[in-house]
Amino acid sequence: MEIRYQLEKPVTLDIQMEVRDFTVLLGLSGEGKTMLLKAIAGLIPARGHPFGGLAAERRPIGYLPQGYALFPHLRAWENVAFPLPRGAGRRAQAMDLLARVGLVDLAERYPAALSGGQRQRVALARALARRPELLLLDEPTSALDMATRDEILDELIREVHDFGVPVLAVSHDPHLAMLADHMAVLLDGRIAQEGPPRAVFARPATMGVARLLGFRNFLAGRIEEIAGAEMVVAGAGADWRLRTGLQHDMRPGMAVTVAIRSEDIVPDQTPDGSAPNALKLQVVGLREEGVALRVRMEGALSLDMLLPRLQCEGRSLAPGTDMWVQVAPEHVHVMAR
Amino acid sequence: MSDAAAIAITASRQPPTRWPTTLTAAAVLVFLLAPFAALVFATDWHDFQFAPGDLDAIRVSLFYSGLALMLVVLAGTPLAWWLAHYHYRGKWLVDALLLLPLLTPPLAMGILLSSFYGPYSPVGGLFSQAGLYLTNTAPAFVLAQIYGAMPYYVLAARAAFEGVPEELEQISRTLGRNRWQTFWRVTLPLARLGLTAGVALAWVRAMGEFGIVLIVAYFPQGIPVKLWVNLEDMGLSAVYPLLWVFFLVAVPLPLWLGLRSRRQGMF
Repeated sequence: MEIRYQLEKPVTLDIQMEVRDFTVLLGLSGEGKTMLLKAIAGLIPARGHPFGGLAAERRPIGYLPQGYALFPHLRAWENVAFPLPRGAGRRAQAMDLLARVGLVDLAERYPAALSGGQRQRVALARALARRPELLLLDEPTSALDMATRDEILDELIREVHDFGVPVLAVSHDPHLAMLADHMAVLLDGRIAQEGPPRAVFARPATMGVARLLGFRNFLAGRIEEIAGAEMVVAGAGADWRLRTGLQHDMRPGMAVTVAIRSEDIVPDQTPDGSAPNALKLQVVGLREEGVALRVRMEGALSLDMLLPRLQCEGRSLAPGTDMWVQVAPEHVHVMAR
Repeated sequence: MSDAAAIAITASRQPPTRWPTTLTAAAVLVFLLAPFAALVFATDWHDFQFAPGDLDAIRVSLFYSGLALMLVVLAGTPLAWWLAHYHYRGKWLVDALLLLPLLTPPLAMGILLSSFYGPYSPVGGLFSQAGLYLTNTAPAFVLAQIYGAMPYYVLAARAAFEGVPEELEQISRTLGRNRWQTFWRVTLPLARLGLTAGVALAWVRAMGEFGIVLIVAYFPQGIPVKLWVNLEDMGLSAVYPLLWVFFLVAVPLPLWLGLRSRRQGMF
């Protein structure tokens, strides 16, 4: 499904993107992701299609806001039955939907007596009772506990696949985007990039997108050489060289930005720095991050490395010590500047 | 949480009884309720009889207050909903103007009404031509009660509507319910307690309205004016029977609603 929406207030957005199966729109908080969903739902004035010009109650969408907005005065099954027409089969239909999200035992409970994940599924069943053509999810991970989050997300994605309704979920959580069938990145009110998550995460189109996807290292450089299936990038005004895989849109002499993930930088296992892209750098800062260690290094270039605990064992790291590190050429991502 | 911490929290929620504060509170409570107790002793229970016309006054009060209450709810609810839902520049001015009838002393309000709806005013003249006389008539009586009760109802109802999360009303629309259905199925049930408080308040105001009624509609006499007349004509002892009835019809409904809303931790 193709979505085109434009709005001016309260934020300026000009969105054109594809929604298929479970699609995640990734963007920073305050970018207007919620406003886009409200615009598609017809709750704020906007121009666009599909559904443009229809009153909110006539749009065939299901909308799950953050916190899910269950009606506190209605039991779980009454919430699900809310969009259903009055009639004999109303309760049975609602119970059927609750059964499909695995909550039929909690049908008589009020929302206040349900957990975050259970509320989300009641809200999903309620939205699906409407037989929507498109399901809109606002930050579906925000109200969930870390402990049960992944489990509930897997369940949610499985359920929406079962129902066969295309989903547009907006989130600031790259983790959710990784689980999607299709993703898009919202930057400055426009779609900066879209595609399958595997492609987008591997090849962010701009520095802004890369930042959103979790890249921490950005270096200014220039294409020095293209030879066969490889390119060499040299530092702009700094003495370093990195080998990288061939990209077709690059020409020698082009100014580029190099992006590297912290977790793709690893200690060099060869004795003398003979590995490709080996760099000798000085440790300037250390910070524990859970069971991993974040290492700040400087030298010909500054790098931020995330060292898993397996790599830390038997290694004495302290500020001031020198260290050989390397990054595989296929993990050096080059973007035109 | 350890048991000790749990005990500490429970303890801090229920502070240990301190005699001076308890005594002060009890004294103030006695001060507030003493006149009501006095009524029990002052009433001559052996010779409990109504003054002539008391029963008519009761009938008038009950019937017209009910009518006034209905009109207040019918007209006040849409206004309160509108005030709660629409935000625009200069709304503070509307808010301030709304407080005007509330803050005006009843006697002054009565004078305003009689000069606006009185027989010699242009508006009163128009109504008279239509056969509706708004001085010392039943319609004037109801009008006075409406002016006394409506501002209180509108303020309470507006607060009740403002307490309903807008998101729930929006969700109702995305679930296929139009504004009218949303009002009945979401807004009204969620605003229920605040609205009943508003109804109770309006009932007491309408029943007890004296100042405005005295000026605009001395006739037909409701309970408050009749109490005043009895007091003037026959003295204090003659008012007790009607006073008892006044309490019995005016107070139980709001008291019950008030207790109910405080007790019921809704949902």
